[in-house]
Amino acid sequence: MLSYIIRRVLYMIPVLLGVALLVFMLFNTVGEDPVRVALGQHATAESIADLRAKWGLDKPLPIQFLEFLRQIVTFDYGRSFNSNEKLSDMFAAGAPVSLMLTVPPFVFGLILNVSLGLLIAYFRGSWLDRISTLLFIMAMSVSYLVYIIFCQYLFAYRLGWYPILGWEPGFAGLRYVLLPWLIIMLVTVGPDVRLYRTLFLDETSADYVRTARAKGVGELRMLFSHVLKNAMIPLVTYTMVSVPALILGAFLMERYFGLPGIGDLMITAVSSGDFPVLKGLTMVLALIYSGMALLTDIVYAWVDPRVSLR
Amino acid sequence: MLACSLSWAAACGTNQPGGDGRKVFRYGARTGSAKSLDPVKQFDAASAELIQNVYDTLLEYHYLKRPYELTPSLLSKMPELSADGLTYRFELRAGVRFADDPCFPGGKGRVLTSDDVIYSFKRFADANTNEQSYVLWQGAVVGMDEFREQTRKLGKAVRYDRLEIAGVRKLDAQRFTIRLNHPNPLALLPLAASQLAIHPREAVEHYREEFERHPVGTGAFRMKVYSRRGVVILTKNPDYFGVYPSEGAPGDAQRGLLASAGKRLPLLDEVHMPLLEETQPAILQFLVGQLEWVAMDRDNFLKMAYRDERGFHLKGDFARKFTIYSEPMLSMEYFFFNMDDPLVGKNRALRQAIAYAFDNAGFISEMKNGRGAVLRSPVPLPIAGSQSDVEYDWYDHDLELAKRKLVEAGYPGGKGLPPITIEYRASNTSVRQEFEYRRANLAKLGVKLVPNFQTFSAFLDRVDRGNFQMMSGGWQADYPDAENFYQLLYSKNKRPGPNAGNYNDREYDALFEQMKAMPNGPERYALFAKMVSLLERDVPMVFTYSPIAVGMNQRWIKNFKRNMMIDTPFKYFDLDTAKQSKGFY
Repeated sequence: MLSYIIRRVLYMIPVLLGVALLVFMLFNTVGEDPVRVALGQHATAESIADLRAKWGLDKPLPIQFLEFLRQIVTFDYGRSFNSNEKLSDMFAAGAPVSLMLTVPPFVFGLILNVSLGLLIAYFRGSWLDRISTLLFIMAMSVSYLVYIIFCQYLFAYRLGWYPILGWEPGFAGLRYVLLPWLIIMLVTVGPDVRLYRTLFLDETSADYVRTARAKGVGELRMLFSHVLKNAMIPLVTYTMVSVPALILGAFLMERYFGLPGIGDLMITAVSSGDFPVLKGLTMVLALIYSGMALLTDIVYAWVDPRVSLR
Repeated sequence: MLACSLSWAAACGTNQPGGDGRKVFRYGARTGSAKSLDPVKQFDAASAELIQNVYDTLLEYHYLKRPYELTPSLLSKMPELSADGLTYRFELRAGVRFADDPCFPGGKGRVLTSDDVIYSFKRFADANTNEQSYVLWQGAVVGMDEFREQTRKLGKAVRYDRLEIAGVRKLDAQRFTIRLNHPNPLALLPLAASQLAIHPREAVEHYREEFERHPVGTGAFRMKVYSRRGVVILTKNPDYFGVYPSEGAPGDAQRGLLASAGKRLPLLDEVHMPLLEETQPAILQFLVGQLEWVAMDRDNFLKMAYRDERGFHLKGDFARKFTIYSEPMLSMEYFFFNMDDPLVGKNRALRQAIAYAFDNAGFISEMKNGRGAVLRSPVPLPIAGSQSDVEYDWYDHDLELAKRKLVEAGYPGGKGLPPITIEYRASNTSVRQEFEYRRANLAKLGVKLVPNFQTFSAFLDRVDRGNFQMMSGGWQADYPDAENFYQLLYSKNKRPGPNAGNYNDREYDALFEQMKAMPNGPERYALFAKMVSLLERDVPMVFTYSPIAVGMNQRWIKNFKRNMMIDTPFKYFDLDTAKQSKGFY
């Protein structure tokens, strides 16, 4: 397994290089010119040249790309064009907020949605299956933004159960993320339960389930010990690819609830051409994605004895 | 999960301030993150609204008087001008101190001196520190442009103690002079801009890069918490020198705006400024009494307010709970014609036809809910010499006249006229709706208007290259003087300067140069009228409208008057804490 892991880590190098090249090309071809955005319409040629030089954008593109590669290797992405803050400080301030916003509903949601998926798959074709299908499809048809606006209006403004928005560092910040947690769980319950139901249905109609039933295995044991275990491969894949998105937070949620996380930082950087922030976040995400892909393979081998890593 | 989160949220309920008598103002219109709190490194509204509370400038705009008027801030009196009109003599207010900060020996803020002013001027002029706002004072002060050039050559090796600005001279610790290149009545205006806020050398040297996040000023407030993307908290500077003005504009006394006259500023203990990027949650927070001041966007205005011939009003229950304010902004929207374009640039009658066809009053009423004023000159209404002071001839929407002009242009009913392309700097819904309105205006004339929605930098590239027929633009006053708007059509400001249409008329230029050196008054206004008549003849630009800022306040705010030159005049505000603590729920 160790040689497999080393090989996969080495494979990540060309992948990250490709991502770096793509990000660099996109920024320099289709993105906003950060100097013009910063200086506005009536900047003098002199001030444009000054700022371009200060940000190193006057150097030839290959030199700029090499500098970018140096930043990737040293994990030093410099300072934001927008605010001149250190990228490391910005990430350190934003990541805990994003993780606090996304991790708890992700974990609770996973447990809840897998359980619901199992339950509904077990009662396939019953009134519970039909009603839940109808409800979940209705829930999936409503946009994320509508959930945010509606829940904020009803639960925070009208009923006063939660703060409308805000943020405080540390434990005190928890109360500001309670309503966003509920909304995230509400939004994900429809698509997730539908997916899990389908995964489990494939398993419940498999031959081994019929054999287990014939041998007198109880329904609960069959569901949790056999069906759930055999559905683990797609479940793990789906769960693992969701993990990198957690660090990005939920951009709309952050904006509407005044949470200073990474998602909002990323969107602001896109609109203002803040290349250092974009570079840093994209490369960190690419690294996490690659890491999660490797971890997914390792988990496959752990949950399914048929899988071996060579 | 729901029950658990509810009990937690209930246990941590929000307390309404005011109960303990402390005056805490919660600002609901901070919509963007500040770029930098270093005065010379910022040129954005989000930074300026913080800087103007923690730093001071030599001059500031009078809080109440209109038209906007300069008044001393760090100065003991207005500067004196020499007989030749070239040298200003300044005297600093005695005893003004910088905020206590670890950058000073013993952490105790010291007294402001002329050296701080000269140091701040040097940093403003230094090409290595100020890439953005030097244009505000470019060419005005003797030796300042040369100083800037030297700093550019020297780079980081520049030493301010070895390099002087020839026109800035220290007389003593409290007094200094500035010599101008030419007599210029506008030369003092930048001294009220946040980029020329006075700051101490110790703080710059102590904090280095972090000075952008660690302001040390003489202002009415000190930075207690600075979270660029969270809540900023300002706390009262107990040693602040300012007092509330005892004079105002007509009607201010009746509206209670002089009730605090002569009181020591600031009147608030703290100001909380959360970052509120979305309007909807800000409005909800305002409605439950957790914010004192919010701006209104189009959707909320439609729901909560209306405009009639007497002004702006809130509807129903909103009127009982809140107050509404409106104030003309110091900006204008326009369309430029590219005067070098072989079609629109060379056909005056075609431009005149388009000017007649644009229905600006309808646009303001239908697309802006009345939150704007039709312009008859390039100058927004609150600025001296605008249409409030002078009667200008300009194009009123008239489809029949537009059709006649189109015949004169050689395109009766639009026949034979190729589509005209108009450039936009964005592609959001609001811009698209604006275009649709203009497209419909010209369609009635038989003229086909085609949009080019693009990114900001693509738009700038196209405009700078002169590769356009018409472009949508806007101008926000750098300072409240008509010159700042008439210069949009001055030939020496042609592309890539603000005269993007490359309008070039000798008579206009001569009038511009003449009025530039004159004080406001009938003589100057007569020149404005001549300039507008030239613009009416040539139509290099169609003025569309000047926006009006509209927002809401809680009824417990005192001394609120929207001042478009001071975005966040917190030092003048006061609160009725008894009412605030009760809220209305």
